Amino acid sequence: MDSVVGERGLTYDARGLAEPDAVAPKVAEIDGDRASFDATGLSTRQINLELRRLLYEGGVEHVTVRNPGAKHSLGVGILRRCSIHFEGSLGYFGLGIIDGPEVTVTGRVGWSVCENMMSGVVVVEHNAGSLTGAALRGGDLVIRGDVGARTGIDQKGGTILVGGNAGLLTGFMMQRGRQIICGDTGPGLGDSMYDGAIYVGGKVANLGIDCVEEELSEADLEVLDRKLGMYGFDQPSSGFRKFVCGKVLYNYDSLEPAERKLIL
Amino acid sequence: MSTRSNYETGSDRSIGIDAERLAGRSFDYQHDLSLVEDVDLLAATPGGDINWLEDVTLLVEDGVPAVFDRYSNSFLKIYFPIPAGREDEIARKVLVKHLQSGNSYGIALKERHAKFPQPELGPWVAGSRTVGEDWAPPGPPEGWESPGH
Repeated sequence: MDSVVGERGLTYDARGLAEPDAVAPKVAEIDGDRASFDATGLSTRQINLELRRLLYEGGVEHVTVRNPGAKHSLGVGILRRCSIHFEGSLGYFGLGIIDGPEVTVTGRVGWSVCENMMSGVVVVEHNAGSLTGAALRGGDLVIRGDVGARTGIDQKGGTILVGGNAGLLTGFMMQRGRQIICGDTGPGLGDSMYDGAIYVGGKVANLGIDCVEEELSEADLEVLDRKLGMYGFDQPSSGFRKFVCGKVLYNYDSLEPAERKLIL
Repeated sequence: MSTRSNYETGSDRSIGIDAERLAGRSFDYQHDLSLVEDVDLLAATPGGDINWLEDVTLLVEDGVPAVFDRYSNSFLKIYFPIPAGREDEIARKVLVKHLQSGNSYGIALKERHAKFPQPELGPWVAGSRTVGEDWAPPGPPEGWESPGH
C-alpha cells in the first residue's frame, strides 16, 4: 500500500486555487486583543481568512498561528500594524505584499518570502529559500539562517539582514535599500544592481557585472550597528565590506520621469 | 522659488504626476512647517527605528522640493522653507501627515477599487474604517451593447 506522504497526503489544493467560496473557519481562541489558532487541517485560504477576520474585524492586535505546516502564501496582504507569530514553517510566497505587521516565524520559509513587502518587520528564525525579499519595497526582513539564490532581486527599498550565508546572484538587479549578509555570498554578488548597498561580513565568491567595492562611511557604520543591535546579531570579526553599483552601465539620468518613479 | 503650487496657478507644464493634481487640491501641510512638526516618525512606523521611511528622502520635482508618495506614484511638493540639516526628516513628516490624513490618491482608489476588505488608512492610522467589502466586477461601459454572437 502506498504511504500517503507529500502532496498526495493533502486533502485540499495547496496552491489555494480551488476555494473561491471559502469562509473564515472561526476557530481562533480570543483573549482580549490576543488570539491564537491551530492551522492543522485548514487550507491556505481558510488560514488567511481567519487572520483577516481577527485582524480586520475582531479587534485583535496579536495573533499566533500554530502548525502552519509549510503551506504556501500564508499571511499575505495584511495591511495594518499588528503582530503575527507563526509557530512552524511557511512554504513559498509567505508574507507577500504586507504593509505594517511585525511577524516572527519560528521555522523556515520557502522561496520569495516577503515579496513586495511595503513596511513592517519579519524575523525568520531559520533558513529561507531563493528570492528572499524579492521586490522588497520597505521594512526589515531578518533571516537568522542561510538564504538561497537571488536574495533581494529587484529590491526597491528596505533592509534584508541575513545571519548566515547567501547564494548566487545576491542583490541581482537591486535598485534601492540595503542588504546585510553576515556570512559568505555566492558568485555574482550585486549583478546588474542599479543602486542600494550590500554589506558582507564573510567571503565573496565573486562580483557580478557592474558591482564594485566601496569604502564604508560613518553613515554605513551607524546603519550596521543599529540594525545588528536591534536584532541581536554580533559584528563579524573581520568587519563588513560594502558593495555598490559601479555605474558603468548606469542609465538612470536619462530615464523618462514615469520610468524613474517605478524605482522610487 | 514660487510658493504657489501648479494646482493653484493653473499651470499645466509639469510632466510629472503631482499629488495635488490627482487630489484636485493643495494641502495645508505642504505650505506650513508647523503642521508637520508634531508628527512622530518612530510611532508612525513598525519596529525599533523608522523602518520603511529610511528610504524616503527629500527630492526635487519641477524645481520644487518634494517627497515621493509611493502609494499614489506621485510627488508631493513642499512649499515652505525647509531648515538646513532637516531635509529628509521634514520630507518624511510631510509624507506621513499626507498618509495619516487620508489624502493620498492611493487611499481614494482603495474606496473605489479594493477587492477585499482592508483598513482604509492601512498601517498609518489604527482603527480606520474598512473598505472593499462590497466590491463587484465593473459592468460594461455605458452605451455598450452585446454584439449578439
